[in-house]
Amino acid sequence: MRANVWSGRNGVQVENVPDPTLLNDRDAIVKISSTAICGSDLHLYDGYVPTMKRGDILGHEFMGEVVETGRGVDNLAVGDRVVVPFPIACGNCWSCKHELYSVCENSNPNAGIAEKMFGHPTAGIFGYSHITGGYAGGQAEYARVPYADVGPFKIEDDLTDEQVLFLSDIFPTGYMGAEFCQITGGETIAVFGAGPVGQFAIASAVMLGAERVIAIDEYDYRLQMATARAGATDAINFSENADVVEQLKELTGGRGPDAVIDAVGMEAVSGHGVVHAVDRVKQAARIESDRGAALRDAIMACRPGGIVSVIGVYGGLMDKFPTGAFMNKGLTLRSGQCHVQRYIKPLYERIRKGDIDPSFVVTHRLELGHAPDGYETFKHKQDNCVKVVLKP
Amino acid sequence: MPTPPRPLDATLHGVVDYNMGAFLIAAFPKLAGIQGTRSARQIRLAGAIHAGYSALTNYPLGVVKALPYKAHLGLDAAGAIALAATPFVTGQYRRGTRQWLPHVALCVAELSSLLITDPTGRGDYHGNVEAVRQANAIDPGSKLRNGGPAVRRSAAA
Repeated sequence: MRANVWSGRNGVQVENVPDPTLLNDRDAIVKISSTAICGSDLHLYDGYVPTMKRGDILGHEFMGEVVETGRGVDNLAVGDRVVVPFPIACGNCWSCKHELYSVCENSNPNAGIAEKMFGHPTAGIFGYSHITGGYAGGQAEYARVPYADVGPFKIEDDLTDEQVLFLSDIFPTGYMGAEFCQITGGETIAVFGAGPVGQFAIASAVMLGAERVIAIDEYDYRLQMATARAGATDAINFSENADVVEQLKELTGGRGPDAVIDAVGMEAVSGHGVVHAVDRVKQAARIESDRGAALRDAIMACRPGGIVSVIGVYGGLMDKFPTGAFMNKGLTLRSGQCHVQRYIKPLYERIRKGDIDPSFVVTHRLELGHAPDGYETFKHKQDNCVKVVLKP
Repeated sequence: MPTPPRPLDATLHGVVDYNMGAFLIAAFPKLAGIQGTRSARQIRLAGAIHAGYSALTNYPLGVVKALPYKAHLGLDAAGAIALAATPFVTGQYRRGTRQWLPHVALCVAELSSLLITDPTGRGDYHGNVEAVRQANAIDPGSKLRNGGPAVRRSAAA
């Protein structure tokens, strides 16, 4: 089969690789109909996530048709159309029993590496380095799905692929980020990053009843999508005015947003050139693994007693984490890789009811063979790119 | 075996080149306590040459872009080794460690930076945006503006 593989820093290529086969009774093989490039794939592409190996198949957002099932999979049948959550979860461990699927205790065969980095093992993830299990990803024609009796979600109506594909990751991730904000109606929520996850965080905050949602990014076209499509009420372009904290205060009568969502993560860009250059050099020299411009501003901007929700991906350590502001303002920090399996059904129902059409983020639909150009276009924000869907 | 990190892309390598060139010319001899010596002149010359061929290199921070990036990296390695060898060729190493240690230290620093440099030079956009435009089944601009709000306020799921 053809698959998009990692070929070193800033390189992917589409190669012929062996077809996946069932390895366990709880496996299924899925013939992929749609897959997507995630913003967090760019951390792999940019070389900031260790333990990648040349030839690793990328991709953790995918859906398709079940073509083979193991003997232990009795909830799926050949021909079922499924969306596959990006965290691989066993369904039986303590974490899974508590719906904390992204920290499943059994699905990561390289748990020891994750434990050294994070203190505890985390779940396996498709196509996301050997820290998360070294599983082959979904930017391919077929994928093996472990614990297929727990993860894959059946789509039983005529919604298009692009309406349901993002249930695999970015829609639940954005939704979880908004849910962390404890929105009961009338709040002001600021969202750092108007990439695909940021768009869904904005849309989810709107769905949940936030009165004002402020989108923050450095690209006008992404802010345009945030306001015209995702429901943001205000937009801040920090490339025009780098002092985001001050602007957020001005927009909120000096108080600051009730909650702030960081949908940026480890490759944040600061509008202050010197701050960005210092972070960039430190990260390049591995003095810090995570650039913290967005999270620092989120903490500084959030109103006292507010919530900072972190759904952008971080991998290690960050300099200048503002502990003083965090503690003295009495902030609550919530974060995590999304427990997709917990959210997928209710969000699917929202799509069916017409609360949201997730396909609004798709700006590029390309054949799988264009994946290398798709990565470059997405990374460098060329051609008004927000989200790339690949068709195997 | 994990792939060794190569965090210095062509842009960052350029930043290091110009900063190192300026540092060697302006500050290093004084900091190393070799001002006014032959060693200082050699190191200043090395810094000037380094900055000079950086300006001629075909990478994002190059001015003329005549020298291929890989040739630039080759010059970096050759220049570093030549700098380290200079005190021993001229015999100045006999006058004390300050007459050879800075050369060797700079050589080690340069070779170390080459070890973490991405030699492909592909840190910047190297896609084919025209091919993407032609292959794309969607008009991205229309997705940004048209279609109205894709979400509506509603009760909890």
